[in-house]
Amino acid sequence: MADRECQALVVGAGYAGLAAARELLRAGVDVLLVEARDRVGGRVWTDTTAGGAVIDHGGQWIGPGQDHLQKLADECGAATFPTFTAGDGVEWRAGQRHTYAGLIPTSDPAAAADGIEAIFELDLASGDVPLDAPWEAPDARARDEQTLGSWLAATVASPGARQVITVAVKSIFGTEPGELSLLFTHFYLRSGGGLMNLARTTNGAQERRFTGGAQQGATFLAAELGPRLLLSSPVTAIAYGPDGVEVTVRPPGPVASSTIRAERVIVAMPPALSVRLDWSPPLPGRRDQLSMRAPMGSVTKVHAVYDRPFWRDDGLNGQVVSDDGAVRVTFDDSPADGSHGILLGFIAGDECRALDAATPAERGRTAVADFTRYFGPAAARPLEVVEQHWPAESYTRGGPVAVFSPGLLTGFGPALREPVGPIHWAGTETATVWCGYIDGALSSGLRAAGEVAAALAR
Amino acid sequence: MADRAEIVEAYADWRTRCNDNERLRRMLRGWDRVVHLVATDTGDRFTVVVADQRLAALADGAEAVADLVVTATSEDFADLFWGDLNPSEKYMSGEITLAGAQEDVMRLDAMSMVAFLDQ
Repeated sequence: MADRECQALVVGAGYAGLAAARELLRAGVDVLLVEARDRVGGRVWTDTTAGGAVIDHGGQWIGPGQDHLQKLADECGAATFPTFTAGDGVEWRAGQRHTYAGLIPTSDPAAAADGIEAIFELDLASGDVPLDAPWEAPDARARDEQTLGSWLAATVASPGARQVITVAVKSIFGTEPGELSLLFTHFYLRSGGGLMNLARTTNGAQERRFTGGAQQGATFLAAELGPRLLLSSPVTAIAYGPDGVEVTVRPPGPVASSTIRAERVIVAMPPALSVRLDWSPPLPGRRDQLSMRAPMGSVTKVHAVYDRPFWRDDGLNGQVVSDDGAVRVTFDDSPADGSHGILLGFIAGDECRALDAATPAERGRTAVADFTRYFGPAAARPLEVVEQHWPAESYTRGGPVAVFSPGLLTGFGPALREPVGPIHWAGTETATVWCGYIDGALSSGLRAAGEVAAALAR
Repeated sequence: MADRAEIVEAYADWRTRCNDNERLRRMLRGWDRVVHLVATDTGDRFTVVVADQRLAALADGAEAVADLVVTATSEDFADLFWGDLNPSEKYMSGEITLAGAQEDVMRLDAMSMVAFLDQ
C-alpha cells in the first residue's frame, strides 16, 4: 500500500510543474508536487553574492510577448528593470578588439550585412512551421535531415556572418549549430518570435530582468501550494497501469523511501532526465527514443562581481561578441541600483565541454581572463566570481534547454506531448510558444494541468 | 530638428541606394507593405509604400492603412536616410520604435540595418 495518495501528482517544481500544480489546486484537485532539490525553480535559480547583490544562475530575462511570465510577475509584484544597453558592444574578432553600436558587430560591414541577411532568411524560413505540429511543416523531412550547421555551410558564404550566427546560437541553445536539427531550429525560432527577437535585449527576449531575481515567481507559486509541495524528494521510479501510478520517492541520506499513489501524474522534467527514472512497465519505445534524441545543451554561467560597473565609464554596455576564448557572449548583469558592477559570461557548447573537468575556480579564472581581454585590466580583479556549470547539476544535467537532434521531430514528434496512459508531460521542451523559455514552461504546465483535470472529470 | 523638405530629400537619396542594392531587393521579395513614419517632435507624417521589391517615393501625410508605424525624431529620420545613423543603435535604445506584426517588424529591422551597413 502506498504511503500517500492523491488525485494528481506533479514531478518537478520548476516553473512548468509549479504552474501545473497550482492550476490543479485551483480546480479543486487533490494534488501533490514533488521536487528533487531543496528549492523550487528548476533551471531558474536566484542567489545572492557575498556582497549582497542578486544574481540568477539560470533563466533570468523577460521580454515582450512573454505573457504568462508577465502575468505571474504582476500577480506576485515582482519588479523588473531594463537590461543595461547604453553604449557600445565589444567585438573580439581574429585577435583584435573593436567596439560597435547596435545589434550586430560591424568591424566588417559586409560580413555584418551577410549575417543580418542570414538571420533574416532563417526567420523567414521559420514562418511556415506549425508550432503545434512542426513535423507537418512543408518539407519537414528534408529540413529535419539537415542541421543548422550544414545549412550555414551551404547557404552563408561569409565566414564572418557564420561566426556571428554561431555565437548567437550557442548562447541560445548551449550547443553547436551542427547538433541542431534545422527543422527544430526553425520551430524554436518561430516559437520565440525569430532569431532577431531572441538575440535582442531591447525589443527582444533579453529586454528586462527581475530586480529580486527570476525565481520570485516560483517561490510565490510554491507558497500557494504550501504543504502540497514536497522538497528534497527525488522520484526514482514510476509504476503505472490503467488505475493510475505509484511513484517512489527516495530522499538522499539514510531516509527510507516512500511511495505516492495517484490517478494521474505530470512529469515536468526535461525529456532526457525523465527517462532516467525506473519505469514499470517500460515506457513505449517511441517516447523513450524521443528522449534519447533530446540531449541537454552545455552551458556555464559565470558572474564576476566588481565594486562598480567600470566599463560604463568607457561608454561600453557590457555586451561582447567574440570568436575566441571560453566566454564569447557577455552581458552587464549589474543590479538596477548600480550598487555593484556585475559581468555575466556564457561558456557554451564546445567551450563548456572543454572545461567540464576543470574546477569551478579554474572556470572562473578562465572567464575573468576573457573579461579582462574584453574590458581591460580593471576586469582582472573582481571582488568575487560565481559560476554555475549546468552539466554537473544533478537534476538538470545541462542547459539552457534540450536540443532536438535531426530526426526527432519527424520520427517521434507527436510523442512529445502525447500522454502515456495516466502519464502527462510538461516542461518548456513541450511548449509550442516560447519553447525553451520560462514562459513556455508556464504554458506547458497549464496545458498538462488541463489534460489531467479533463481526465479526472471523466 | 529636420523639416519636411530635408526628410523628403534624404529619403530620396536613401531610396535610390536601397532600390539599387541587390541584397535589399532580395530581402523585399513578397513583401508589399504600407509604412507610416511619424516624427515625434514635429508631428510630421509620411507614407512609404513597398511594392514589387522597390521603395516608392515618400508621400506626405499618413495615407491608407499602415502595416507598420515607425516613430523617431525628425532629425533621426533625416540622419537615418542620409546614412549617418545606425538604426539598430536607436532601436536598441528605444529612440526609434516599430509597431506592427512581428514578421513585418523583423523585416524592416533587418532591411534598415542592411541599408546602413551596405552603403
